[in-house]
Amino acid sequence: MSVALASPAQTEGPDYGSEVEAAINRLSEHLQAEYGLAPRAVALLLLQGDAEILDKVRRLDPAGAENVATIVHQIQSTSPEPLSYTVALSRQAAAAGILASCVTYPARQRRDFGELLGRLAIHPLTGYPLMLAVLYFGLYKFVGQFGAGTLVGLLEKDLFGTVINPWLVRLVDAYVPWPALQALLVGEYGIITLALTYAIALILPIVGTFFLVFSLIEDSGYLPRLALLVDRACKAIGLNGRAVIPLVLGFGCDTMATVVTRVLETKRERVIATLLMALAIPCSAQLGVVLGLLSFNPAALAIWGGVVGATFALVGFLAAHALPGEKPSFYMELPPLRWPQPRNVLLKTYARMEWYFLEVLPVFVVASVLIWVGQLTGVFDLLVGALQPLMRLLGLPQQAAVVFLFGFFRRDYGAAGLYELAQNGALNGAQLVVAAVTLTLFLPCIAQFSVMAKERGLKTALAIAAFIFPFSFAVGFAVKVALAALGVSL
Amino acid sequence: MPIIALVGSPNVGKSVTFGRLTGQYAAVSNYPGTTVEVARGRARLGDLTFEVVDTPGMYSLLPITEEERVARSILISERLAVVLHVVDAKNLERMLPFTLQLLEAGLPVVLNLNLMDEAERLGIKLDLEALERRLGTPVVGTTATSGRGLEELRRRLYERGSGQPCPD
Repeated sequence: MSVALASPAQTEGPDYGSEVEAAINRLSEHLQAEYGLAPRAVALLLLQGDAEILDKVRRLDPAGAENVATIVHQIQSTSPEPLSYTVALSRQAAAAGILASCVTYPARQRRDFGELLGRLAIHPLTGYPLMLAVLYFGLYKFVGQFGAGTLVGLLEKDLFGTVINPWLVRLVDAYVPWPALQALLVGEYGIITLALTYAIALILPIVGTFFLVFSLIEDSGYLPRLALLVDRACKAIGLNGRAVIPLVLGFGCDTMATVVTRVLETKRERVIATLLMALAIPCSAQLGVVLGLLSFNPAALAIWGGVVGATFALVGFLAAHALPGEKPSFYMELPPLRWPQPRNVLLKTYARMEWYFLEVLPVFVVASVLIWVGQLTGVFDLLVGALQPLMRLLGLPQQAAVVFLFGFFRRDYGAAGLYELAQNGALNGAQLVVAAVTLTLFLPCIAQFSVMAKERGLKTALAIAAFIFPFSFAVGFAVKVALAALGVSL
Repeated sequence: MPIIALVGSPNVGKSVTFGRLTGQYAAVSNYPGTTVEVARGRARLGDLTFEVVDTPGMYSLLPITEEERVARSILISERLAVVLHVVDAKNLERMLPFTLQLLEAGLPVVLNLNLMDEAERLGIKLDLEALERRLGTPVVGTTATSGRGLEELRRRLYERGSGQPCPD
């Protein structure tokens, strides 16, 4: 393998001091193989204690590997400070030397409004009110009331409920002679009446409005400031701050965010973040549906938020203490606050909606088919029947079992079912809260589970699922008992 | 096909630049660490087609996180025609040490000072030609979000990647 090598003579490279330079030269003599990097760079990485490169040397240059290790050890033990520090300082000095003749900075750094706002966003006194304002207007007002309320009302009730679906139902009834096939297409759980309607009229507007708000927040540079702000609170319960990044992203889509846990430094952090996301971070679809359902009942919304938040804190605290390992410190680039670019915001919102829709639609259709097969064979009724004791335990009506069955396929599918149920007036306030809490904490959707298995391994994914399943019902049960004992009527 | 790899610390505009060069969409945000998967696309520069690789953010060749490991392995194990180091023009003191490290490693670097608009708004004056002379490697200033400097960037990438002057 060959790399086009720039002639180093042209470059004013850093000088690392006579001792380090001597070590570099001695090391380079032993590096005969091709590393994809110039020997000088390989030697420097070795001096900085890069274990991966040392392994590579053992494999590619077995003859010189012993000497290499000795030289590295020697200079590391005699150097007064860590070599990676020395090397970094020399590079910074060289960079500063070069820049001195190429860059002129203004005499006084201008402090503009963006910088002030950026400061206010991370200061606890002003940051939390700002966070609440963003949550209130962005999530509650726009996603909850406008997306899940107004838009869903227009699409689901007016467009699909009174125009499209009745028309398609008549069409299918007229031209499809077999009742079984009619049921598959336009029955109670039919592909058109359930899968397509849910996906287009219910999930899409909610997810769309959420992704729009999320893209705006993301592009403005507010998100890392939010992470920094919440980091302090997270440290208080013994959690590491860096985990805040994927957790905040999880409100968009937990499946996406589970992939993003790769930015975390240790396996321990990745497992904790994955667990918390699977359990207590509702994805945008769930969040939208719950906000839409409970927005007219502030007390119910507060109880839901409180229970889910407390669960998050408690499980996070326990997991952080139960899982061994060190807690690396939180470090994050803070980009400047910027005006989001409309084009990028729209493009990103669109890309995410498309991704989501294509991900969701086949699963919804498959779910419809499975339910159809289940109904024909009687397995569906069997499963719904099997869930009845759990429903009775939670004090929920029989039909709620179907919602939880949906939840196995996707959380948002279950949430959509819950929406339907509440619209039909089948749930009172307390039941709604119990169902919303249980469903929020409930098993992640199939997509998230498969990503969890891919990223964390099947064993960890199964362990997380095995914990969440009984735990979510236990919390739901506790909420029901507590509401009843306190005599709260919602 | 010759390969151009985009490297640099998080949130300096690698993904926007990737999108500009390839016409493909890579998730872009004002949020460090958005690129966790490696995006690959193609760019037509002059009479040549290059493969363009968008790497996760990295601060130096010494990896700390999983994603930095991924980014480094691309630098080490792929035969690269150009390493495009995308940096924030406002924060050159923090960015240039990595450029020096890449040059030290003998990689075919083109240094891309992005976010030039923000640097100018702060009143920072940059002498790109002087910087280019002292580094001994091509330096291009861009504002990737608006497309400013992209033609120049394409031309310099072509020259660095093919070793020939750009036909147009």
